[in-house]
Amino acid sequence: MASAQLELMSGLSPDEADRVMALGSRVTLPSGTVLFRLGAEADSVFVIEFGRITLTLPMQIGGREEDVLVDERLPGQIVGWSGLIPPHRFTLKATAPLETEVRALSRAALLSHFAARPDVGFVVMRNLAAAIGRRLQVFQAMWLREMQRMVELRRP
Amino acid sequence: MVMFLMVLCLSMFGLAVTCLAFAAATGGIPSGLQDRVETQPEKRVVHALPKARFFVDRLPSPVMPPQVPLEVLLAQIERHVRLEQAAAESFLVSPTPQSLHSRTTSPLVH
Repeated sequence: MASAQLELMSGLSPDEADRVMALGSRVTLPSGTVLFRLGAEADSVFVIEFGRITLTLPMQIGGREEDVLVDERLPGQIVGWSGLIPPHRFTLKATAPLETEVRALSRAALLSHFAARPDVGFVVMRNLAAAIGRRLQVFQAMWLREMQRMVELRRP
Repeated sequence: MVMFLMVLCLSMFGLAVTCLAFAAATGGIPSGLQDRVETQPEKRVVHALPKARFFVDRLPSPVMPPQVPLEVLLAQIERHVRLEQAAAESFLVSPTPQSLHSRTTSPLVH
């Protein structure tokens, strides 16, 4: 997938997108590898190059703590935006359910690049805001659907 | 004279017994007795208590749904999340109250 087609790089020229991606390092995750854990310090964001990342939260089921799927990210999408957003703590657990490759972009490298190229920083941060906003809207709708079911259970 | 008084008393007694017997036979109640009956307090209905069952003192437990194996439950949750996410994304494409509350085939909500 070309860099300019990535979720985070939309609106950048191919050269600019390549330069941003070159700031990161490629990480290969064998199947079952945990990319980051809930509550861990977040100093990087990740762009999925191929494979898949599942995002889970712990849930108590039958007295046991089980990881329950909350979201799934696919190639071209970003994961771990807490790396750029304070308080820089991951709020989910990310796992590769199959062999996956991600590009890890450190916060320090990105912010340094954005300071030198504010126009690029503006586009990338706008893309990040769009991705976060989209996720917020999806979860708002999911939350309201659950609320509706709760109301129906109480007042059939 | 004494003889006459005795006959009179017996006649009066016999007349009284006859009147009472007649009233009882025809269902009528003498007015004095009727007043006493009407002033009696109404009997309260006492519901019979259930018989104590000494060997069945615990209530039967409510019917519980059959236990679903953990792996099956996790798979159902995962399917539910995917369906709900798809429904939520569909709502964002065309936001209407109907699309917000559209039904899915998730086994967790049926």
